[in-house]
Amino acid sequence: MDVTPLIVFKNATLGYGRKIVLKDISFEINEGDYFGMVGPNGAGKTTLLRAILQTLKPMSGAVSFNPRSDAAMRFGYVPQRDTVDHIMPYTVHEVVMMGRYRQIGLFRLPRKEDHEIVLESLRHVGIEGLRGMSFRDLSGGQKQRVLIARALASKPAVLILDEPTNGMDLSSRVSILELIHTLHEENKLTVIMVSHLLDDVVNYVKRIALVEQSFFQVGTVDEVLTEKNLSAVYQLPVSVRSVDGAKAISIRGLRGDT
Amino acid sequence: MEIHDIVVTILAEFPYALYGSMLVGAVCAFLGVYIVAKRVVFLGAVLTQVSVFGLALTFLPAFALPHTVGSLAITLVAVMILSRLLTGRRIPKDAVLGFVFVFSIAVRILVMQKAPKVEVSEIESLLRGDILFVTPELFYLMSGVFVLAMTVHLAFFKEFTYISFDAETANTQGFKADIWEMLFYMIAAVVISVATHMVGDIFVFGFLVIPPVAAMLLVRRVKKIFLASVVIGLLSPSVGLLLAFKFDFPSSPTMVAVGAVVLCAAWLVNRLRVN
Repeated sequence: MDVTPLIVFKNATLGYGRKIVLKDISFEINEGDYFGMVGPNGAGKTTLLRAILQTLKPMSGAVSFNPRSDAAMRFGYVPQRDTVDHIMPYTVHEVVMMGRYRQIGLFRLPRKEDHEIVLESLRHVGIEGLRGMSFRDLSGGQKQRVLIARALASKPAVLILDEPTNGMDLSSRVSILELIHTLHEENKLTVIMVSHLLDDVVNYVKRIALVEQSFFQVGTVDEVLTEKNLSAVYQLPVSVRSVDGAKAISIRGLRGDT
Repeated sequence: MEIHDIVVTILAEFPYALYGSMLVGAVCAFLGVYIVAKRVVFLGAVLTQVSVFGLALTFLPAFALPHTVGSLAITLVAVMILSRLLTGRRIPKDAVLGFVFVFSIAVRILVMQKAPKVEVSEIESLLRGDILFVTPELFYLMSGVFVLAMTVHLAFFKEFTYISFDAETANTQGFKADIWEMLFYMIAAVVISVATHMVGDIFVFGFLVIPPVAAMLLVRRVKKIFLASVVIGLLSPSVGLLLAFKFDFPSSPTMVAVGAVVLCAAWLVNRLRVN
């Protein structure tokens, strides 16, 4: 299968000020990838994400974007939902419309076409009925869908999600992960998902980066998420098993697990 | 004095007090919505004190500028420094604001002690602003500032609300959040600086906070919050001025007190609606 590299990290060192977070990393994210980035808290996942979003320049090396692919510059970003304002009662429609602001441009009001795209995005994530509600009054899962709809409204080629299932109950988590999977499969979106929850990523993504300051590996899930790698990164005896055709990750020796 | 007589007196003798306080009330109420939403309410108090400090500086021979120019210059410099410090993560926002607040007051007192040939009470009176003696010149200057602030805010309503709601994502979409933040704070600085010189710090800080919070309690849509806040900002000073004349109260605190009554009523309405 022919793959087009979309984002290329070449010997990139990332950090803030003089503090190095990730050193000398090289890997590629391809067009059509479903790419996961996992690792413990504080390992550098957000730093990596910021480099992809071009809000952080590498200290050395290069992060380049395929100039032949227009997809490389069309990101739809879904932030962690607790980073947005919960004071002002923006409606769901207003929040999703923000995804169109770049296309609308300065000094212009949203056109009929923009409102239609907002509705289409809401339909896509199954929350058309919530469009008049206040964003701040929604449940965690509904808010996540609104933020995904906002990212879709910008007509992205790459959907980037930062901890999309953080703090959700099991059914909301599965529902959001299935939605992202559907968007990847049916809309051919390249998806980059950051999570510290291994279970969320392991059975969905095609390729994965295991991130830790002294450990960085990229490959397929089977190549990267091995007991040896995970035990080294998390400093715990990690077990990787297959249960009903799905991967399950647990800690050996906890509560009767052997 | 009957209400009718008071109205006639105000319109005949103190028209700029009425128009000026309504104008400042409206523009502060509009900007205040962002300030409350950004959780930087104390910034309003800080900028009023910085502005008063800038004004005090103009009494020194070395800084003998027109009062409004001195106040504006110092407030703009403070905003440039603050906008950097407020986006950093090393020092908490409230600590930065607290330091600038107390520093401005302390230095102002020192400056006033060294101001030659002027009574401290005279300077204090000028620094605090006096609504009743708003001059036509100051009123027209404030009108210009009002038009500038509203034009910029209405022209870039999308951008300001996006940055205020989710600066991180706006950044990834090509909106330079720090530049928009700087523009917002610059406009706030100009408004606060001119308004403080005109009507005093109590009024300005009061109307940056009270109408937006009351509006947030009363209505449930963002555009309506801006509208309700401006309406409260327009009406409270006029009612306050009437009451100040009727009961011989100082005007600024009375206007702020009227705003506070509106806020309490809004809170009550909100509670009744929730229950």
